[in-house]
Amino acid sequence: MQVTEEQLRGLARLADIEIAPGHVPGVIRNLEVLLDQAALLADAGLAAEVEPAAVFRP
Amino acid sequence: MTLAETAYCWTGIAETARWIREGRRSALALVEARLAVIEERDRGLNCFTRIMADRARREAAAIDAAVAAGRDPGPLAGVPFGVKDNYDVAGRVTLAGSIINRALAPAGADAVLIQRLTRAGAVLVGTQNMDELAYGFTTENAHYGATRNPLDTRRSAGGSSGGSGGAVAAGLCDFALGTDTNGSIRIPASFCGVFGLKPTFGRLPRSGTFPFVHDLDHLGLLARDSADLALVYDVVQGHDAGDPACADRPREPVSATLDEWFAGRAALLGGWFDDRADAQGRDAASLIARELGATGTIALPGAERARAAAFVLTAAAGGNLHFAALRTRAGDFDPATRDRLLAGALLPANAVLLAQRYRRAFYEEVMELFQHHDLLIAPATPCSATLLGQQTIQVAGRALPARPNLGLMTQPLSFAGLPIVAVPVRNGAMPIGVQLIAPPWREDIALRAAAHLERSGVVRAVEPAPC
Repeated sequence: MQVTEEQLRGLARLADIEIAPGHVPGVIRNLEVLLDQAALLADAGLAAEVEPAAVFRP
Repeated sequence: MTLAETAYCWTGIAETARWIREGRRSALALVEARLAVIEERDRGLNCFTRIMADRARREAAAIDAAVAAGRDPGPLAGVPFGVKDNYDVAGRVTLAGSIINRALAPAGADAVLIQRLTRAGAVLVGTQNMDELAYGFTTENAHYGATRNPLDTRRSAGGSSGGSGGAVAAGLCDFALGTDTNGSIRIPASFCGVFGLKPTFGRLPRSGTFPFVHDLDHLGLLARDSADLALVYDVVQGHDAGDPACADRPREPVSATLDEWFAGRAALLGGWFDDRADAQGRDAASLIARELGATGTIALPGAERARAAAFVLTAAAGGNLHFAALRTRAGDFDPATRDRLLAGALLPANAVLLAQRYRRAFYEEVMELFQHHDLLIAPATPCSATLLGQQTIQVAGRALPARPNLGLMTQPLSFAGLPIVAVPVRNGAMPIGVQLIAPPWREDIALRAAAHLERSGVVRAVEPAPC
């Protein structure tokens, strides 16, 4: 998945974090890798009843 | 016995401690010997971030005093150990390989696992180098330098517990505590030719350690053989309420069962694990499979997605944990760490929740395999130790970035929280590790298989080189 600088800037604004110009190429590269990995999960066909596995013990 | 003889007299932890308990060796003399070796060798290896000579001498002297007074100093009497730099040590800031953490207050107490080891008589000699914030597999730390592999100093010791793996391989300490979120004990064990244990998620309390990914962080250890691993593991087990993920289970000691030959149903993991291993790793895993009587090769179809999910969760959780520092001190991170954390902080919630839900589905898939098998076998790393500065590794005919991809074989398995022992196979110029993977809470099976392989001569740790 390709991420443009404009998209990255938009995400950063929503998250309220500033990304220095020199850091932008590296962050874009890593975000693209992460989104590619996430895309593998999108078509995993998880049933609606499959719950997240996070640890929470009230 | 001279100091040098003591330093290289590797008889195993149980025997060392027995000699000290019986007054046949001095704990202080042993610690002095280890400190002398550290002084001589660590300048070229950079395993330690801080050598705690005063504390070590004080604790060792107390052990000798206890022996002289007729008190039992414990099963690990006088045995020197190190800890990864993300364990709290009282009075010291827990740096976790970061310069940002220098602003933290010094730890008020030792991590719970260090406390348990100290009560058992073990002697802490220092803290050990790691990738920044545990986010890496090579221990090439931009702030504190790279740890060099004692077997070939041009090469990486693996990571992120690279200082701990290197120190055990070089004979600078008798065992070390590390952490493993995505492979950070198993990869150094593979690269350095030693044994590593990553217990079941929730087995060992993480109280007093600096977190990376709360959902995936495991504590564990590195040592020179399976008996040493088991003995230390038996000491550090037990619930602690300070870690909400720590299971409230009774201690399940394993040392007494190691003499039994492994007689379970073993299988070699193919597919993802076979495709991404090099020839040395495949040969090593096959060798072990034959020795353990594996009945065949089986697939774990969800492994690729499990690795993807672990990758996504790690970046997102790390980005969340360090968000404040990313906003105000981004320039103080190692660039490689910073860019990954920033990207993780920007991931859509949908991706993170998909990863968490996939974890549950993958766990069910793995448990189905354990209906028919007691132990699974897979290479630990796609290759043996990489060169420091090496940018890419060859995986299935493709050049992939080295630093994020050394965990290809470890990440899916820790994602399922399984107990795993990494054992060293010496079938090449450098050793390579193989993972022995057991069902949840059955560390005993993996350790028994490791002991079986040692007795058969199939696996053994490298010998510390003389100074």
